[in-house]
Amino acid sequence: MSLPPADVFDSFSGAIDFIFEPRDAIGVGGQVGGLEQVWDLMWTQIWISALALAVAVAIALPIGLYFGHRGSGELVAVAVGNAGRAIPELALIALMVAFIGVGVLNVTIALMILGIPPILTNTFVGVRQVDRDAVEAARGMGMTELGVIRRVELPLAVPTIMSGVRTGAINIVATATIASIAGVSTLGDFIINNANYGEDGLLAGAILVALLALAVELVLAGVQRLLTPRGLALEREAAGATA
Amino acid sequence: MEGTRPTEGAGEAVSVEFRDATKRYPGAAAPAVDGLTLDVPAGEICVLVGPSGCGKTTAMRMANRMIEITSGDVLIGGSSVRERRPAELRREIGYVIQQVGLFPHRTIAQNIATVPALVGWDRERARARARELLALIGLDPDMADRYPSQLSGGQQQRVGVARALAANPGVMLMDEPFGAVDPINRERLQNEFLRLQAEIRKTVVFVTHDIDEAIKMGDRIAIMRQGGHLAQYATPAELLMDPADGFVEDFVGADRALKRLSLMRVSDVDLWQAPLAHVGQSTAEVRAKLDGAEVPYALVVDGERRPLGWLSDRNLAGATVPQSPDHSPDPKVEREDVLRDALSDLLQAETRYAPVVDAEGRIAGVLSVEIVSEFLTSDDARVEEHPAAERPLG
Amino acid sequence: MVGLLTQLPLIAQAGDFVRPPGEGPTSCVGENNTVCIGWALDNIDRWVTPTLEHLLLVSASVAAGFAIAFGLALLSHGRRWLEPTFIGATGVIYTIPSIALFLILLPITGRGTVTAVIALTLYNLQIIYRNIVTGLGNVPEASRDAGRGMGMTEQQLLWRVELPLAVPEIIAGLRIATVSTVAIATLAIFAGAGGLGDVIYTQGLQNDVFKTAIVVGSLIAIAMAVCFDALYVAGQRVISPWRKVRAI
Repeated sequence: MSLPPADVFDSFSGAIDFIFEPRDAIGVGGQVGGLEQVWDLMWTQIWISALALAVAVAIALPIGLYFGHRGSGELVAVAVGNAGRAIPELALIALMVAFIGVGVLNVTIALMILGIPPILTNTFVGVRQVDRDAVEAARGMGMTELGVIRRVELPLAVPTIMSGVRTGAINIVATATIASIAGVSTLGDFIINNANYGEDGLLAGAILVALLALAVELVLAGVQRLLTPRGLALEREAAGATA
Repeated sequence: MEGTRPTEGAGEAVSVEFRDATKRYPGAAAPAVDGLTLDVPAGEICVLVGPSGCGKTTAMRMANRMIEITSGDVLIGGSSVRERRPAELRREIGYVIQQVGLFPHRTIAQNIATVPALVGWDRERARARARELLALIGLDPDMADRYPSQLSGGQQQRVGVARALAANPGVMLMDEPFGAVDPINRERLQNEFLRLQAEIRKTVVFVTHDIDEAIKMGDRIAIMRQGGHLAQYATPAELLMDPADGFVEDFVGADRALKRLSLMRVSDVDLWQAPLAHVGQSTAEVRAKLDGAEVPYALVVDGERRPLGWLSDRNLAGATVPQSPDHSPDPKVEREDVLRDALSDLLQAETRYAPVVDAEGRIAGVLSVEIVSEFLTSDDARVEEHPAAERPLG
Repeated sequence: MVGLLTQLPLIAQAGDFVRPPGEGPTSCVGENNTVCIGWALDNIDRWVTPTLEHLLLVSASVAAGFAIAFGLALLSHGRRWLEPTFIGATGVIYTIPSIALFLILLPITGRGTVTAVIALTLYNLQIIYRNIVTGLGNVPEASRDAGRGMGMTEQQLLWRVELPLAVPEIIAGLRIATVSTVAIATLAIFAGAGGLGDVIYTQGLQNDVFKTAIVVGSLIAIAMAVCFDALYVAGQRVISPWRKVRAI
């Protein structure tokens, strides 16, 4: 293992070059690199991740809300969360490629599978943790069960739920990186199909993926801030809660 | 509780003195405790009492430097607490707080043995001490290996007290120690603590917001008002008879005369005597006795001098004293009864006089409302002050 | 630079399946239609080294992650203003997808197991640190006050009262970290380390999608995660007899 400082800067410089300047592909004809290609692949990653996240939320949120509201199924909700953590994204993609096939639909399903567990578990836990007194009071005032969920439990559970959504989103974006294995070209293509892109492309891909993930996190953090009811935000501030 | 003496040589109780002790928080206009000066003699219970925000808890916590003293001093056993390292100082002081603060991850025995372990006792000795203290506070020593979550609130409070006593401190600081339990348990805990104090005689600084608890528990009471000022420092009787100002009077309560009565027993009072009659005695003799007697009614007693009832005019019109007199002897009051309870019985039964009996049921005298009020205004009342540990318990 | 290129195992190889000698085109392995259980069991030594490497990666990085997170927690104990900083910093690292982190570290720390362990350790930091801090924060205030009032120094309070009570939360954090690390470590091959990624990717995907290897590698990874999880649950029961183990 060596730590050559000069080479480090060279490598990163080369990677940055790759992002902005197209150059000849290695081994095959045509050009690689440059902003256009970068954006092309990034956009693919963005929309397929967004799609998978949307579906994951659409599935996991109602289920989590339902069981969290009823208070049953804790073991299942928690087990799903644990299971989700134990599945390596590489294994999931590989198994999918081996037995089901490649393509956008399959990739989206795989991404969805990795996105659902944290959202489901966090929604369940978030709802459970809502102050029982508030729920009692709401019922006592004549709110329907659905009303209780919509107006009391869901808003108060937003921080926990959003935390789960953010984790799910990161899982999805990370897995979408290796979607190239399954025939969907994302930024990970620079990494997986490296023969043509060269070492600069390799590092560039890594940097771009990292930046994309951070950007997604920031956006979702902003969404969380928007969605968190003001009273709740003030309360947490007063209590000195950290994110 | 049995009278088990702690086998460890009882730690010498020491005096606690506040010398113009003041606590100022930065940015606050008024001090939390303002120049508090009072002496707690060794072996006595001093109760700090007052409305919330009066600084009583702050003052107590200055004694073991959980709150640092801004100016002035607190002396324990004559030496300033400011000269000791806080952790060392605290190991010599028993500390009991309202929420108890038992360590959930340690057994009862381990909890009690905390300070002994800190000061280096060996395990055997610490464990034996823990079991001894469990018995002392009225818990089964076999509970030593249970965990706090397995105990009731009242039991946890007692363990808290035992834990504070473990290393035989000379001083105990107690902040609303019985506040977190229901009133019935609170009374039991208070009584048991007083029984304990009668044996071990620690110097105690006790904080409460409840004036009744203060009167019950305190040898001396320090009433504090908002802003950390000491309004009055006196014995309960003095406090009740001579409140220093309007605030103290209000705080003590409009029923302070009645409160005084709960400090005394029937035996403290000079009782009147009623003429006694025996079954079968001639009524003429009885009538003669009634002439000029303190109590204008005759009480029939049996051979053992136990009261059977009062004679009515109709009874006296007969020739001899009947077996069953017309008026019942009830309510009968015992010599050891709390004076306040006795008066309450009298008022409830709507009779003027109640026979007072001793432990064997034999007549000792007669109690009435007039006697009580006469007594309260006499000088004898001031002399009859008992230390808290020997006061009548409800 | 060309030399470096040829060393990278990331070059997807299309083309012929590298069949083990003696396995003809009509054998289970040759046809590659299903999982060849018999063959997998016969050739068990193919899986042993990657599994052991994987175990090493996970153990080393969780241990290192714990050590560092614990150190951070000791630093921020009593200095609450440090907590958001530490959580934020470790959080940024956690957000970066693992492959990216492996590759970004490559030019800095070179190829190999050490780089992989460094990256995996960095991933663990946030979850372990957060759980230590939360655990310490859950200690009842009354117990703290009583401890101080009885004469414990801050250090004694930390080690005799706060940390023991924080253990369940800490173990929960270690449990999550370990299970996650088992999964992430499958990508360690991108950093030039070994591990089960070798089975799934190199022997599986890159090898004309050799189904048997993919399945074996995936199963071992999942089984390892489950075993660690069960170990932690058992361990927590042993260490904290005073409370029931929570489902989470």
